[in-house]
Amino acid sequence: MPVKANAQNFDEQIKEGIVIADFYSDSCVPCKRMSPILAEIEEENSDIKLVKINVNFDGSLAEKYEVMAAPTLIFFADGEERGRIRGTAKKSDILEIINKLR
Amino acid sequence: MYDVAIIGSGPAGLSAAVYAKRAELSTVVIEKEYMGTGQIAQSSRVDNYLGLYGENGFDLGEKFLAHAQAVGAEFTEAEIIEMIPDSESYILKTSDGKEISARTVIYAAGTKRRRLEIKGESEFLSKGISFCAVCDGSFYANKTVAVIGGGDTALSDALYLSQIAKKVYIIHRREVFRANEALQKAVKNTANIELILNAVPVEFIGDKKINSVKFIRNNEENILDADGVFIAIGSIPNSGLLKGIADIDESGYVIADENGITSAQGIFAAGDVRTKRLRQVITAAADGANCAESARIYLSQKRS
Repeated sequence: MPVKANAQNFDEQIKEGIVIADFYSDSCVPCKRMSPILAEIEEENSDIKLVKINVNFDGSLAEKYEVMAAPTLIFFADGEERGRIRGTAKKSDILEIINKLR
Repeated sequence: MYDVAIIGSGPAGLSAAVYAKRAELSTVVIEKEYMGTGQIAQSSRVDNYLGLYGENGFDLGEKFLAHAQAVGAEFTEAEIIEMIPDSESYILKTSDGKEISARTVIYAAGTKRRRLEIKGESEFLSKGISFCAVCDGSFYANKTVAVIGGGDTALSDALYLSQIAKKVYIIHRREVFRANEALQKAVKNTANIELILNAVPVEFIGDKKINSVKFIRNNEENILDADGVFIAIGSIPNSGLLKGIADIDESGYVIADENGITSAQGIFAAGDVRTKRLRQVITAAADGANCAESARIYLSQKRS
């Protein structure tokens, strides 16, 4: 199950392992379409953690990471940003980035 | 071999699917976006589709999709990259190397957003420049944004953004708007929307992200500071696949009458991609129905 993150717990959530941070917005259709794909990836890959940030509520995190489009996926490895996808992406594109981080 | 391959699952394609299935034609709907329902999904509110007043576009699209699924239409997620006329049928090649064959094609590929093609547009895309207000509006709470355009989309984007942003400018190259009267009135009555008319944007300026728009008005250069810019200057038809197969007008729309009949045997065009005056959900749905009927008649004539 994905973890809901906010400005208070975000650093704690991303500090270990491979983490996909999904910056989404409630009103965003591409985000709604991406959601099941991301859930599938998390389910099928036990080493991947999915963290979701609702930009409607956590504008400060979006600002900190200079996220200006929804959805934006930021890939972290042990707390360090290692990749980013803006807009929608295919499952295979996401897995490709993950595989590089393994 | 399918009787009907429908390209695109917006309102036109989904309506065609419902009518084709009810005519007992073997039907496949091919859509490049996962569970896509076309551009309507990006509308914050649809007020002019009969019987479903005030529905948001995403939910309306989901209802259309559920309806087509309920009557048993088959769906494939694929992007068609080439259409090859074969003997009394068409072979559709997908981007992942597959082929789909069908006796008729209902072409409902819609349109894509037009770009300004000016300096800084590509550079700041997703870094302050957006083509989707409902997607990215929430990044601009209490900030200043500019909407570029003068049609229905531009004005409804501006109204949507006015509820989030501190200030919304509408930059439009003419004196008058193309948008419908109701939208124009709503914009006029919204205190934090300001109009910049007869202004032509020429450059987007910024560093890591956009911070201003340069535009020309009365032969003078002006700079407007903005945290975000939403571009809504109309659409370009996705008719590329039909080039050399069916007749296309000078703006790129597939030439077809109300029955969807194109210059190519067995190809019918529905929705925004077709030559017509009013591009709306309700006319797209009507087109889909007409095209399915045209396909049914075409197939029955071939068989007799």
